[in-house]
Amino acid sequence: MESNIRVKNSPWRILYLYWRLYSQQLKAMMEYSADFYIMIGAAAMTQITGFLFLWVVFSRIPDIQGWGLWEVAFMYAAIYVSEGVGSLFFEGTWRMLRLVNMGELDRYLVRPVPIVLQIFCTGIGMNGLGNILIGGSIIAISLSHIDIAWNLQTIVMAVLLFASAMTIRVAINLAANCSAFWIRSSGNAFPIMVHNLGEFAKYPITIFSLGLQLFISIIVPFAFVSFFPAAAMFGKEPWSYWGWFSPLVAAYFVGLALLILRIGLRRYESAGN
Amino acid sequence: MSLIETKGLQKVFRQAVKDPGLAGAVKHLFTQRYRDKYAVEGIDLKIEEGETVAYVGPNGAGKSTTIKMLSGVLVPSGGEIIVDGRVPYKQRMENAQRIGAVFGQRTQLWWDIPVRESLSLLRDIYQVPTDRFKKNLDVFTELLGMDSFLHLSARKLSLGQRMRADLAAALLHDPKIVYLDEPTIGLDVAVKHRIRDFIKEMNRSKGTTMLLTTHDLGDIEDLCERLVIIDQGRIIYDGKLQEVKDEFARERTIHMQLSSPIPDAEELFRGLPEIQVKRSGDSLEASSDTDLSIRFDRFRCTASDIVKRVMSRGEVVDFRIDEPSIEEIIRRVYDGKLDSAALSAAGKGSA
Repeated sequence: MESNIRVKNSPWRILYLYWRLYSQQLKAMMEYSADFYIMIGAAAMTQITGFLFLWVVFSRIPDIQGWGLWEVAFMYAAIYVSEGVGSLFFEGTWRMLRLVNMGELDRYLVRPVPIVLQIFCTGIGMNGLGNILIGGSIIAISLSHIDIAWNLQTIVMAVLLFASAMTIRVAINLAANCSAFWIRSSGNAFPIMVHNLGEFAKYPITIFSLGLQLFISIIVPFAFVSFFPAAAMFGKEPWSYWGWFSPLVAAYFVGLALLILRIGLRRYESAGN
Repeated sequence: MSLIETKGLQKVFRQAVKDPGLAGAVKHLFTQRYRDKYAVEGIDLKIEEGETVAYVGPNGAGKSTTIKMLSGVLVPSGGEIIVDGRVPYKQRMENAQRIGAVFGQRTQLWWDIPVRESLSLLRDIYQVPTDRFKKNLDVFTELLGMDSFLHLSARKLSLGQRMRADLAAALLHDPKIVYLDEPTIGLDVAVKHRIRDFIKEMNRSKGTTMLLTTHDLGDIEDLCERLVIIDQGRIIYDGKLQEVKDEFARERTIHMQLSSPIPDAEELFRGLPEIQVKRSGDSLEASSDTDLSIRFDRFRCTASDIVKRVMSRGEVVDFRIDEPSIEEIIRRVYDGKLDSAALSAAGKGSA
């Protein structure tokens, strides 16, 4: 082997490796099939109670600052679905605490595969499936009640906004969980706190103070997962314009999360043998 | 340039200083104190292509930390590392493509899937061409005797099986360098031999450079010509195994069984330097003891000299000669019994 070979990671290779690593996790889960079914069942139960809760909430809030019931439901569901995507496909971010504290990153670091990819595929959160199904249904129902002129342009825009929103959510998860490199705790308190900030973005953020609005728009941009894309889709002035920054915000936050990971890895101490 | 080269390599860990008990834990919440601990403190190491080097030292000496820095897992706090022309922590993936690592206590395999599938996953990760993968897998299966457990998941393997599978996993992509951190820890003799033979074979047939840490002195004697001893984050010896033995394992002990006791055996060796006579039996009447052990410096008198003198007075039924184990030598180094200046002089002589 010549020593000037470079490791080439084309997008296709990355996707292929993601699929390979992900499907291994799936296989491993199905190995314990009883466990698998119990998990699916438990997840379904959680989602149904969640849905009942949503229904109660919506029947009591008819209109918030010019946003109708279905428009709020849409935002609510957007946060909900993004949580599901984060769990189902990128659950590994939530395992970083263990990876770092137990020194399990060692074996990831000696492989010629991007570390983020390996972190993503560390686990699968089956409960995410419920979020996606129920949240997706709410989004579909909401959209059927809201007057949008569907054409090729709006469809492309919708897809772009959706992809950005999911990317932002996953990047936030990753960045928040990088706290494991700094906080030597035994619990996920910090990332869970960040995760809970998403609750604010289930409502039109204009009901909050300016400080909080800026915080969830810039520092932890959950508003770009729900509020701004919704404003853009539904033409809510003066916010609709901001929704189109979603892809830029996604790129910025992915960059930020990767930078934090990089800095964190410099602090990684493995674990004594 | 050497294949592996480090200069003044350092790694500092920050340790929290806590008072004991719950009160201490509460206090730590408010006043956090930390102390810097140097795990590795200025390591200069050069390893050439094709070498097999034993990297030994007591627990906490910095062996694993060094290996983790070389393999790109840890970022050094200071100093330089170049491995095959690359800086491991900066060009992590390029470095990873070219190395294999076995961290004895931790597996590279996927816990829940069959070994065979773990290996095939690694084939994709390292982009090993199919024909080479097949060839390597066949050879490894044969050499390591993996046929009986390739279909089992790592969870179900015994330690010995897991270690063999891990070795195969680490060498599947024909790495140029392999780091082995405690590859034989906790294994029975048969598996140890199998693993050593495998390591030797890989080094011989593929020219793989090996750096291994171990507490097993059999590993060192069997595998390595070169020995690097590290203590408290510093290298205290670097040289040929044979030289350290010549320098610090000069004494030999002859154990003899006699047909009848020689009461005044000490008198026999009058005039020979540095002789110690020990009667190994535990009978109270020393003079009736037929077992005799004589320790001598092999550079100052010869075994035949001693045996000849004993034979002039009685019949030797049986005898054997012990040389100090490498373990003993290293233990002496740990205990500071050896003059460290002499050690470094010996190291330079062989470098």
